[in-house]
Amino acid sequence: MSTTTSTSKAGGSGSSLVWALKDTQAMATRNLRRLMRQPEQVVFNLVSPLMFVLLFRYVFGGAIQGLEGINYVNYLIPGIAVQTVLFSAGVTGFALADDMQKGFVDRLRSLPMSRSAVFGGRVYADSINNAVGLLVLLATGFAVGFRPENFLGLLLACVLLLVFALAVSLGYALIGLTVRSAEAVNAATFPIIFPLTFASSAFVPVATMPDWLQGFATHQPVSVVINAARSLILGDSATAAQREVLLGGSDTTSLVLQSLAWTLGIAVIFGLLCTRKYRALGR
Amino acid sequence: MAQPGAGTTGPAVVAEDLRKTFGKDVKALEGVSLEVQPGTVLGLLGPNGAGKTTTVNVLTTLLRPDSGRAVVAGVDVLADPAEARRRIGLAGQYAAVDEMLTGTENLELVGRLNHMATKDARTRATELLDQFELSDAAGRPAKTYSGGMRRRLDLAAALVARPPVLFLDEPTTGLDPRSRIGLWGVIEQLVRDGTTLLLTTQYLEEADRLADRISVIDHGRVIAEGTSSELKATLGAAVVEVRLDSPEEATRVQQLLAEREATVEDDLVRVPAPDGTRTLADVVRTLDGAGITARGLASREPSLDDVFLSLTGQAPDADQQEQPA
Repeated sequence: MSTTTSTSKAGGSGSSLVWALKDTQAMATRNLRRLMRQPEQVVFNLVSPLMFVLLFRYVFGGAIQGLEGINYVNYLIPGIAVQTVLFSAGVTGFALADDMQKGFVDRLRSLPMSRSAVFGGRVYADSINNAVGLLVLLATGFAVGFRPENFLGLLLACVLLLVFALAVSLGYALIGLTVRSAEAVNAATFPIIFPLTFASSAFVPVATMPDWLQGFATHQPVSVVINAARSLILGDSATAAQREVLLGGSDTTSLVLQSLAWTLGIAVIFGLLCTRKYRALGR
Repeated sequence: MAQPGAGTTGPAVVAEDLRKTFGKDVKALEGVSLEVQPGTVLGLLGPNGAGKTTTVNVLTTLLRPDSGRAVVAGVDVLADPAEARRRIGLAGQYAAVDEMLTGTENLELVGRLNHMATKDARTRATELLDQFELSDAAGRPAKTYSGGMRRRLDLAAALVARPPVLFLDEPTTGLDPRSRIGLWGVIEQLVRDGTTLLLTTQYLEEADRLADRISVIDHGRVIAEGTSSELKATLGAAVVEVRLDSPEEATRVQQLLAEREATVEDDLVRVPAPDGTRTLADVVRTLDGAGITARGLASREPSLDDVFLSLTGQAPDADQQEQPA
């Protein structure tokens, strides 16, 4: 069947992958422009993790026990890094809901563009936003005394966090597509992120928590990812006691694989649900 | 195989017995059929909730109907939605522009997503901004635009790829009268240039001015179809309205004017005026002869309310109130 048209619109089906990438790039550019023109949102996303760094480094830090000889600021920064990317991941759902609410998604759906570019462009732009947030956080960390043992490990930890955030952002995309209200997504961020980051190894060692909480706090995905990041950053310097008490007794490879398994699982499940939800908009 | 669309004669838009139910029992479309001939304008006229937007959403591939057939520019919308999207422009009920982007950026984005070359998208954006008198605001974010400017930008976005068929869903709802008249001028120019247009509206005046043919839609069905003058002819032209001090007095006046088929509703008497001012003069003489002073007297053209009154026996708003939720 012929797909040629007499109009000025081009794009045969043979080059659909190329077009999907170009559409994704166009959408990502648009999303990043929007972000840069909402400085208040960017500032908020950067300021709240900085407040947490200062709060825990200088106010609560002195009272935190059971660190097995690790300097608290070195313990803290990977935890806050995960918290930062998790909060930023909410932007994906927030922005998608906003586009739905304002009819922009309907305009996109009436264009001959690639459907996947709506998500692709979103996740692409949000990952860049997330990476910038992570850089600012690390810079602050260095300023207040954070000293990683292993720089290559730090780099790998950042990649691990960004990929995890990307998977989580698909969960937010699903919420955004479902509730179609930016305010509602915003409201949903807190009750999801709060328990996952606080009932985790982010700020305090899990061993100091009550027994009934320890099981959840050790094995839930956010802790697994934090522990993997910590293990990468500590590198070979981690003692057997630190590994046993702080990292759930696992070695770096095992923690990284567990993190990737969680990431992949979350991405696949929410990716499929998002695709279904987006298709269902037309029913 | 013949090239779809190009060279085919026949209607630019066909909807055949479109049906759509949301959830279990919200029947949005109960068999909508319509046709738009190439280069003409069809006005889809109806109150809120009549099924106007649902019809447009089906024809623009945004929504799949439960049954029925839809063809746009020679392409079967249900069989090949991707191809249909290459041939349509849509400006929805909300001005779906990105308010954080400038006018130029908005149009360039739509151009790129229509797979135009970057340079072509830029040229086309400049051209459209000029055509829609937005050149001065081209570099400003759309959030600084007035309602009328936003609608013009939205309309321009729908035209970026020069689609042969254009859908406008309530293009002037929410605009002040001056912006509305401005937008009408823009739409009239488009139609002169040969674009086929399907437009939905709640305003008879708008359909009257812009549309070659009008389909009146209510409760998911097309209940009347024709040119503006054909529809008005079924309404019996203008009406003289006399407002009186009390319902009792109104009933008396109605009886005096019974020969002219006057109707009464509370303190208001309506008299069909097929012979225009002569009816008005007659009404004045009758009132004068009976020594009755009216609170108000007016002669007016049929309105959407009258269309509904005549077609459904109920005013559109009264009708909606009686609808169970």
